[in-house]
Amino acid sequence: MAAASAFAITPHKVSVCVLLQMYALPTQATPPFSSVSQHNRLGLYILSLTKSYDDILEPKLEDLISQLREIGGSLGPWLIDHLTSRVSSLSSPDDLFTFFSEMRGILGGSDSVVIEDNQVILDPNSILGMFLRRCVLAFNVLSFEGVCHLLTNIGIYCKEVLSNCMPYELHRLDGSSNDLESLSECENMDLENFVFGKVNEEIEERKEATERVSFHLHATQAICGLVEDVEVVTDPRSKHHDKGTEDCPHVHRPGTESQDVDPYGEVFLRTNWQVQGYLTEQADAIEKHGGSVSFNTFELILRQIKKLAPELHRVHYLHYLNSLYHDDYFAAVENLHCYFDYSAGIEGFDFVPPSGSNNSARYEIALLCLGMMHFYFGHPKQALLVLTEAVRISQVQSNDSCLAYTLAAICNLSSEIGSSITAGILGTSYSPVTSMGSSVSVAQQLFVLLKESLKRAESLKLKRLVASNHLAMAKFDLMHVQRPLLSFGPKASMRLKTCPVNVCKELRLCSHLISEFASETSTVATDGAFSTAWLKNLTKPMGSLVLTQENESGENFHALQFCAQSSSIPRSVLQILGSSYLLRASAWETYGSAPLARINALVYATCFTDSSSSSDTALVHAKLIQHLAAFQGYKEAFSALKVAEERFLSVSRSVLLVLKLQLLHERALHRAHLKLAQQVCDELGVLASSVMGVDMELKREASLRHARTLLAAKQFSEAAAVAHSLFCMCYKFNMQVENATILLLLAEIHKKSGNAVLGLPYALASLSFCQSFNLDLLKASATLTLAELWLSLGSNHAKRALTLIHGALPMILGHGGLELRARARIAESKCYLSDPSYSVFEDSEVVLDPLRQASDELQVLEYHELAAEGFYLMAIIFDKLGKLEEREEAAASFKKHVMALENPQDEDPLLNLL
Amino acid sequence: MSSRESCRSELRTAIRQLNDRCLYSASKWAAEQLVGIEQDPAKFTPSNTRFQRGSSSIRRRFHTNDVTSTPPAGVSYVSTPVMEEDEVVDGDFYLLAKSYFDCREYRRAAHVLQDQTGKKATFLRCYALYLAGEKRKEEEMIELEGPLGKSDAVNREVASLERELSILRKNGIIDPFGLYLYGLVLIEKGNQNLARTVLMESVNSYPWNWSAWSELQSLCTTIEILNSLTLSNHWMKEFFLASAYQELRMHNESLTKYEHLQNTFSFSNYIRAQIAKAQYCLREFEQVEVIFEELLRNDPYRVEDVDMYSNVLYAKECFSALSYLAHRVFMTDKYRPESCCIIGNYYSLKGQHEKSVLYFRRALKLNKNYLSAWTLMGHEYVEMKNTPAAIDAYRRAVDINPRDYRAWYGLGQAYEMMGMPFYALHYFKKSVFLQSNDSRLWIAMAQCYETDQLHMLEEAIKCYRRAASCNDREAIALHQLAKLHAELGRSEEAALYYKKDLERMEAEEREGPNMVEALLFLAQHCREQKRFEEAEVYCTRLLDYTGPEKETAKSMLRGMRTAESSFPLMDIEHFHP
Repeated sequence: MAAASAFAITPHKVSVCVLLQMYALPTQATPPFSSVSQHNRLGLYILSLTKSYDDILEPKLEDLISQLREIGGSLGPWLIDHLTSRVSSLSSPDDLFTFFSEMRGILGGSDSVVIEDNQVILDPNSILGMFLRRCVLAFNVLSFEGVCHLLTNIGIYCKEVLSNCMPYELHRLDGSSNDLESLSECENMDLENFVFGKVNEEIEERKEATERVSFHLHATQAICGLVEDVEVVTDPRSKHHDKGTEDCPHVHRPGTESQDVDPYGEVFLRTNWQVQGYLTEQADAIEKHGGSVSFNTFELILRQIKKLAPELHRVHYLHYLNSLYHDDYFAAVENLHCYFDYSAGIEGFDFVPPSGSNNSARYEIALLCLGMMHFYFGHPKQALLVLTEAVRISQVQSNDSCLAYTLAAICNLSSEIGSSITAGILGTSYSPVTSMGSSVSVAQQLFVLLKESLKRAESLKLKRLVASNHLAMAKFDLMHVQRPLLSFGPKASMRLKTCPVNVCKELRLCSHLISEFASETSTVATDGAFSTAWLKNLTKPMGSLVLTQENESGENFHALQFCAQSSSIPRSVLQILGSSYLLRASAWETYGSAPLARINALVYATCFTDSSSSSDTALVHAKLIQHLAAFQGYKEAFSALKVAEERFLSVSRSVLLVLKLQLLHERALHRAHLKLAQQVCDELGVLASSVMGVDMELKREASLRHARTLLAAKQFSEAAAVAHSLFCMCYKFNMQVENATILLLLAEIHKKSGNAVLGLPYALASLSFCQSFNLDLLKASATLTLAELWLSLGSNHAKRALTLIHGALPMILGHGGLELRARARIAESKCYLSDPSYSVFEDSEVVLDPLRQASDELQVLEYHELAAEGFYLMAIIFDKLGKLEEREEAAASFKKHVMALENPQDEDPLLNLL
Repeated sequence: MSSRESCRSELRTAIRQLNDRCLYSASKWAAEQLVGIEQDPAKFTPSNTRFQRGSSSIRRRFHTNDVTSTPPAGVSYVSTPVMEEDEVVDGDFYLLAKSYFDCREYRRAAHVLQDQTGKKATFLRCYALYLAGEKRKEEEMIELEGPLGKSDAVNREVASLERELSILRKNGIIDPFGLYLYGLVLIEKGNQNLARTVLMESVNSYPWNWSAWSELQSLCTTIEILNSLTLSNHWMKEFFLASAYQELRMHNESLTKYEHLQNTFSFSNYIRAQIAKAQYCLREFEQVEVIFEELLRNDPYRVEDVDMYSNVLYAKECFSALSYLAHRVFMTDKYRPESCCIIGNYYSLKGQHEKSVLYFRRALKLNKNYLSAWTLMGHEYVEMKNTPAAIDAYRRAVDINPRDYRAWYGLGQAYEMMGMPFYALHYFKKSVFLQSNDSRLWIAMAQCYETDQLHMLEEAIKCYRRAASCNDREAIALHQLAKLHAELGRSEEAALYYKKDLERMEAEEREGPNMVEALLFLAQHCREQKRFEEAEVYCTRLLDYTGPEKETAKSMLRGMRTAESSFPLMDIEHFHP
């Protein structure tokens, strides 16, 4: 009984059966199908009806009719007429019995049916054939009460249309008035299509590299070929959709019927398969867009599903996701527990009655999810406890793939928090790491874990996990210093080093995923996605198609192909690939190649924004804006930031907020607006969680900026104290790479305080850190500081300083931002000027030229202090050269900047931009 | 409280009126209370007091002067005048409709009354329609089983009834019975606030309709809501409050109320059963057993609340009594969820868990919101080591009533069984939150913290401390506290708890390994503290036991005695490192 009741026969399914009959037995029709493509289109439409998951409820007859009008073309009115008359003619139980025995006749294979000329023989094993068979079976097992219910429901189903249905002509009229609207919509759509097209090309290029995928491509092309000439749809519902989605652009809203559901239950859920597909898609949407999905709208939909299908426990999972991304801790915990209590982690696409199988319970997945949830909410301790429990249960249950995922999650966790907390727990509990004892550092434990997890994923052939493990490894290699794992004796080689080659290798290995994922995707899921996309396209006006209905429009082809393609590479694969580009960008940022970082960020922003989570997209925008600020000044950056903030209104504000504060701080320092700088700096510090070992990046950033503010305020000892404690913290949490920056800052502090001798060792230390960690740009900057230190020791060191600067210049000019370049140029000219063997009269341009450039750049940044210095030097040189006019000019600029430095304006015109 | 006589006459009128309107369960309740009022033995023949047996003789002896039964200070009871009937003689159509109604032909009854306008006729028509809808709803619930479970069928009459009744109420031509029906309809529609107001109006103008009170009570889910009700003071309010307090787990308050009510209704079986329920929640099983034995003597065919009695018998492992009870309810009415539950309990006690699950399932089929059956079935599945099924059953119980601490506890236990202590903690926390004075829950939680995997001993200690403070019957907590403190090297605290444990064991005259352990620890501890005399006492007590501890105690005694004798020598040793 349970198996039979898994597929209930409803009025809508009866309609689909009628359509199928029309499709399979066209001879009954007075006007036969005018072309093969028309016939095929009907078939495709029926297929989509059975597979799409764009909504949870079955469409009403009204919707079906309006869609048929678009599909059928000239045949539309006849199709509709036939459908409505056939369905409404079912008025007694016996009619239904005859109807379904007729249906059986459509199926091929039964000899009793005489095959007519152009009858399509429906293969009983095809998708449509199966659908028909399931309908017939579902009807056959119905009790008489069930038949009565079906009959009543068919009556209601038809009555709604017949009562408020206007004749076609009237509908037509209605439709044509909508046409204007849709045309104006088309204009808006054009741009989108264009972008789609561009992305599409890129994907295509990449895809052509691999054989297996190109097969996929052909398949979809073939289908697309059938439906090239899709008409424009002017569905009154689509209008509603536009209005409805204004407040929540991401979650798809089911049609009108969900808002004013008839309380007497004449609504039916689609098939289990379709509802599950819908839920999966919504889960993706929530994970992608995070908090910007409207909480209540979706909650309403879920409640409705829950009412209609109380045994569909996946709804609880969606509840969980929804509350998770809206930061509702208690609701999230409740729903997560509820979901796993009911489903035991085994509810999948094929519904299994809860009492059926008992020994295949998968509670370890619950633990994994709970661990990730705690991680998300910033409870590293609980997360680790739960995850270790998950490791244990997975081992007990020998659920290898769960174990692999759990290990990956632990890796992720410990690389994010990277603190001593993990050591305590990992050390005591039963986990793969225990065998190493507690002598190894957290980083080493993490390294071993990563290796272990990678090995597991590879042996289990979990392609996505392998790829993301490679990514995690790359991240590890980027930020962590390689040390021999177990060192024997005191003199074992302890050279600290990072290894860019490894990072590169891991990133490349990760990219292999694009050619390997195919084995994992199920074709069923792609079918559904395709059908959904196809039906959605029906309701979406498409570019120039309005005008060229019958032509094979290239653009239409592209658009359709894109829709089909978006489903042929799973989103998760695209997401991992996207993160690899993101990681590339940050890697190059660390290693100090600005153009490469920028290019990778741009690749990500153009190719992967559709598939990646909005927080990642926001991050990439932040990177690009940062780049803009460093190379083109604040004005550009602020206007870009404004655009970005509008785009990511509610999503992941934190990334953009941090960026905004960073930029404001930087600017305030340059304009010597110290009060504001300190205020911004404090705000930044508040953003970080107060829990030990969480949000380390943010904490580091805040206290680094605090030290810099103190330095700018000439409170040298305080600044040095802050920098020292920061150094200790970074050392404690194993953030050696970050320490290079801090050492450089210390050198800077000593330089500014006039203790050049004290500064030298710091600069040298920073230099050697940079060298072993391959931080090229930072190294150039450290060299520059070193040169400045030498220079301040006296003019007899000018030569040495100059050589240092010249050595660093290629790097600085190639990759450095405005500030660094200007500093280098001023330092260079100062070297010349203090060199006793140099005479201004012989070659004045050698100093004037860099000074001019530097002052230009500094004026863009409004860095008053340094600009004043530059103009001062210029004025002196002009004075020496006797160029009085230029001297006055430079002096005036000098005065302007000094004035600005001493009385910082409260009003910042740029702040209005934000 | 008003006098017995007035109660009696009020109830008599009410029963007639309720019966007239086919509100049978309310009239049944009223009749039960009517009989529950103590008769003057002088005036009546023994046949009249047939239902007033049991402890009544004792009670009569102790409560001879309770006739005064003064109301609590400051409360004046309004005497609601008994409602006047609008038509003294029922119309012929009304009589026909009522006959149809009594034959459960609701739609026919409603049809007959279609054109009648009197308040009574209107009510009966609406009520018949409502019941017809309910009946159809029940049928549909079975017919409409979707692929993903039953979607809740709805009463299709509710919408039109709501429309009609709201108009009647607006026009002020609705009687208290109509208001009660309106409340029912509103509850069905989910409009709880209005339902509460309407039901309040109903009971204020006609307090003898117990059904209205019970509906109102089901809407009082928190004490705040209960306190916000404005109810006129009638003795029926006392019944209501007592039952509401019970539902809100304020058992002691509820008991006081019921005991007060017993002054007037000293033979009410209803009150006795409710008292038993409260005692059951307070885990006073002995009392519950006494009450039920008496109840069943008076009312042998009772099925209501008897499942609770079976739980008590189960807990006390009374095989034959439970089987007798099961047999009796089976003969009375086997298709009552309570009967199935009792049989399930019996099989569970016999260790035949499969059969027991079968009967719990049947109980749930009869009433799928039967809370205790879900929980008990969960227990059975735990016994059968079918954890996922157990979890499913418990979860359903929790979803029906999220305040059911037993089911939360069961969930925690199930997860703990699977070796997921951290995950289980979530559920134990829930149950402890709901029932914070139950030592068993605290102990379960503590044991979770104590597991090898978590090893969070500080938290475990905190839990045990709570358990020890709320009357830990099995005295696990003290022992564990002592042990944990000893493990953490805090010998002072450990000694304290061992001493407490020892005192308790002495008081309860219990012996066993715990005793030996406590004595041994205390002996060693005192010796280390150089309190040799005390240590000697403990050692001597240890000598009464057999086993290795005896030998240890002997050698300790010997060591201490030699140390005492060579005391100065030892002192010198101290100064010679």
